Amino acid sequence: MTKDKALEELFLAQKPHFSDNADFMASLTKRLDAVEYLKQHQEATIRRYKMLMVAAFVVGIICGAAAIGYVLSMPADVPLFTVHVQTGLLLWLAENSRLIAATVLSLLMTLGIISIISNVQDILRMRVRIKA
Amino acid sequence: MTREVFIAHIEREQEALRGFLLALCCGNKSDADDLAQDALVKAYLSCAGYQDKGKFRSWLFKIAYNTFLNHKASLRCTENIDEARTLISKTAADSSFEHQDLYLALRTLPPKERSAITLFYLNGYNIKEISMITETSEDAVKKQLSRGRDKLKEKLKL
Repeated sequence: MTKDKALEELFLAQKPHFSDNADFMASLTKRLDAVEYLKQHQEATIRRYKMLMVAAFVVGIICGAAAIGYVLSMPADVPLFTVHVQTGLLLWLAENSRLIAATVLSLLMTLGIISIISNVQDILRMRVRIKA
Repeated sequence: MTREVFIAHIEREQEALRGFLLALCCGNKSDADDLAQDALVKAYLSCAGYQDKGKFRSWLFKIAYNTFLNHKASLRCTENIDEARTLISKTAADSSFEHQDLYLALRTLPPKERSAITLFYLNGYNIKEISMITETSEDAVKKQLSRGRDKLKEKLKL
């Protein structure tokens, strides 16, 4: 496509010239400083978040191991807890205390793993947002 | 790309970028400079992924063009009021600019035609480069240029 001469001349004659280039660059530098500050702040937040997650994971593993160790160290023929009331439901709870404790621990560990996975996904999303 | 290299590139290209956005904003310098700053911040944030192939200006113009389109989209609902205000005040916003006729004529063009015309006539890009910057086909750019040129010539009585 060929250029229209009259239009080209008009555009070239009216090419803008800016006298405030220094001000523009100063303002841009300030904005970039602010962006840099926010980036660093976000990265620090992610680092803290990661450390907290690792700490929670380690504490969870230790507590889980201790709880399972406690359950396993109890004599097999003695219930984990006894309820001194002769009610049907409480008696059933006392008889099946091992099974109940194991189920509750498994549930807690499952919840912990799910929350760790979702936290990892959050961190990855935050990283992508920062890079974008 | 380090911050120093980025700023060095920008010092060289900022005038062309501001000129492009000034034409897209039809002579509204404060809007154009705000958009230029926004576009440059976006460019800074994504400059880690930029691979220097000697097309820094085109890359920058692409970001500026998208920033302009987003800005236009966000203003769509207030645009008619702004236009009415501009007509009543006889382009008070543009009074400080010396190229009112061209800017007023550009104002009548849709944003995509305005961008194509500005890139073609003001910045000297060819159709292939414009299609890369605006992410449209070369045929679409040709149509935009043809329509835009006809409308401008009619408005400017060339």
